[in-house]
Amino acid sequence: MTKVPSYVYEELRDYCSRMARRGYVTAHGGNASIRSGDVMWITRHASSLEDLKLSDVIQVYVDKHSGFEALASTETIVHREIYLRTPNLAVLHAHPPYSVALSLFIDELVPPDAEGNYVLKSVPVVGGKPGSEELAVNVAEALRRGQAVVVRNHGVFTAAKFTDVAYQYMCMVEHSAEIAYLSMMLEASGMKKKRPNL
Amino acid sequence: MFGWCGEILVVDLSSMEAKRVEADRELLYGYMGGRGLGVKVLHDEVSPSADPFSPENILVFAVGPLTGTRVYTSGRYAVVGKSPLTEGCFYSSSGGFFGASLKKAGLDALVVRGRAERPALLVVDDRDVEFRDAAWLWGKGTRETRKELRRELKGFSVACIGPAGENLVRYACILNDVSNAAGRGGLGAVMGSKRLKAIAVRGSREVEVADEDVLDELMDKARNRFIWNPVLSKALSYYGTSALVNVINEHGILPTKNFQQGYFSMAEEISGEALRERILVRKSSCFNCPVGCKRITRVGELEGEGPEYETIGALGSMLAIGSIEEVAEINYLCNDLGLDTISTGVTVACAVELSERGIIGEKFRWGDSERVKGLVVDVAYRRGLGDKLAEGSKRFAESIGGGEYAMHVKRLELAMYDPRGAFGQGLGYATANRGGCHLNPYMVAVEIFGVPHLMDRFSAAGKASIVAYLQNLSAAVDSMVLCKFTMFEFDDEMYARFLSAVTGVEFTQETVVTVGERIWNLERIYNLKAGIGEDRLPERLLTPMEEGVCAGRNIPLGEMLKEYYRVRGWSEDGKPRREKLESLGLEVET
Ligand code: SF4
Repeated sequence: MTKVPSYVYEELRDYCSRMARRGYVTAHGGNASIRSGDVMWITRHASSLEDLKLSDVIQVYVDKHSGFEALASTETIVHREIYLRTPNLAVLHAHPPYSVALSLFIDELVPPDAEGNYVLKSVPVVGGKPGSEELAVNVAEALRRGQAVVVRNHGVFTAAKFTDVAYQYMCMVEHSAEIAYLSMMLEASGMKKKRPNL
Repeated sequence: MFGWCGEILVVDLSSMEAKRVEADRELLYGYMGGRGLGVKVLHDEVSPSADPFSPENILVFAVGPLTGTRVYTSGRYAVVGKSPLTEGCFYSSSGGFFGASLKKAGLDALVVRGRAERPALLVVDDRDVEFRDAAWLWGKGTRETRKELRRELKGFSVACIGPAGENLVRYACILNDVSNAAGRGGLGAVMGSKRLKAIAVRGSREVEVADEDVLDELMDKARNRFIWNPVLSKALSYYGTSALVNVINEHGILPTKNFQQGYFSMAEEISGEALRERILVRKSSCFNCPVGCKRITRVGELEGEGPEYETIGALGSMLAIGSIEEVAEINYLCNDLGLDTISTGVTVACAVELSERGIIGEKFRWGDSERVKGLVVDVAYRRGLGDKLAEGSKRFAESIGGGEYAMHVKRLELAMYDPRGAFGQGLGYATANRGGCHLNPYMVAVEIFGVPHLMDRFSAAGKASIVAYLQNLSAAVDSMVLCKFTMFEFDDEMYARFLSAVTGVEFTQETVVTVGERIWNLERIYNLKAGIGEDRLPERLLTPMEEGVCAGRNIPLGEMLKEYYRVRGWSEDGKPRREKLESLGLEVET
């Protein structure tokens, strides 16, 4: 069998389980990948990120197709497009609830919190069916301009040179979405918003 | 009637008579159609002890309630008869357009009885049926036969046999449309024994659907789910089934040199990637299928369909032929002669090993593609050693004292997954009513692809229940009739919803699986009466491999079988208990 380097497996397992512990993925949702040259290692189709096994990491190519894509995540097409259009080396995809809920109502998430606003500035919301070419292009194009993107009614993709940084973006998007949601609730209850000091 | 047509065409070749009879509704509801309907008719009409080559045997070409509808992959048909290879109840399924054409001619099934005096061609044109002389086609390959008939019969879908079927090779197949094959079990030889060279069908009737709106909604869902599934929308669509070659090889279960190894060092050269790069002309599809896993290829002047994964394994790694061009050429030859590529490759591989071991005098060596081509022709015309090989690997090897080198289950040559690296697939092989069949069930989906869920391929835990469940579901899918590849994405609930929308009869998950279980048990009973029942694997596969990623792994077949019989509600020696049969509404003698 093509050997998956142990550091790749350890790193994917670590960040996948962190996303699961935070409730960003449920059961068999979400996926993650790491790129090295023309190769990417991606989580298996329908694997459980909570408890990733070595056999759940599949090696496929960035610049060409291979039969192993039959085993890999449905979103391999999206990860590939991100790697082809951006210089990133790690991609995470999860379904954090506040981000997904807000994506049903907005076209752009402008983080209301200072840190999120400083780092992310604005996170676009795009459309596209899971596993489709359209989604792949929409997401990759958004990540050419920023660090994160929300797919409407679906989830969040983040990309970076390091998995740890992609994870940081993921947490920030969800944190900002949560703050945005809470702010809306408070506003709806009649409280008056003060001008934030961004 | 929605979904079904409610009519069966019964043709007697001995008397050259044809009549349409009403299909019994209880029969359709209880067995759906396709495989189930065919098995029930075979069970009721043909004695389990009948000679498969006698006029007493029948062939049932059957479609199902979903055939010819908008539901994806609905162009398939099943053909059922008593197999000359296994001597048991056998169904074979094929894609293309023939199934949809039968349905458009207003038929749920075509039952062929008797034996013609002279080679015959059966033409079904909507409600008209005609017997024509086919002496001018007898002896021709399937390629030329279809070409001639296409010229003469515009707009017809044709199923025919080649010289292998005419010469009663026990693993001759039936080919329809563009080399779609009802490949396994030698039903092409049964057609040959009836002197029926070809069947041409054309129809103009649209299938009536009970609830078009619900079907629209379901098709929207199906479309999205097909896109979402990586096996269907990525691997099969991009490479065809040959996408599997490297994957299966890397898992150490690509049968090589007659199952002596599970890894072929030249796999890259016969892979889907090589096929795409070197010989692909275009992809093609069966009726109403967005996947399009078929491949039209070209080698030099020759153009043809395939090779598919199973063919690549049987004619490639099994014979140590490491060239996609050579494999494709042998594949074209088999298709033209009307030979099942799996049984051909496995039987020839058995001969090569027997030669290597000095058990037969003829000299063969691994990787000699030219010699293989010659042998394949000899098999089809039953010449020299080919005559013995035409009997299948078990009969051939046992006749010369080398039975242990025949890689078969219940006389059907094994498909291209070494079960020492996929224990559930091993249980499937051992218990399949067809014999060494990989599709009843396709446990590779679960054990390698992780669809719908990944199970430890080296463990027996939980396999018996899943194997039994998927066998039942497979039997139902073969009876609706859809392509088994839909099982990569659809579950019993989705099938039930399609069936309800099309037929207007309420199907639930449970009824779908129960129909499958009824069919499975009926096949089992028939086979037991025919003297076939031993659920075993070749000794070689019960011995661990010495090298590779599966080295040292030992299939606990006995343990899995015990559990399997319990799950099925059968006796400890694998016989369906009376209570089980009664619960399935089967009033048959055991
Ligand atoms: S998936 Fe392949 S075999 Fe099945 S119906 Fe489609 S083209 Fe035919």
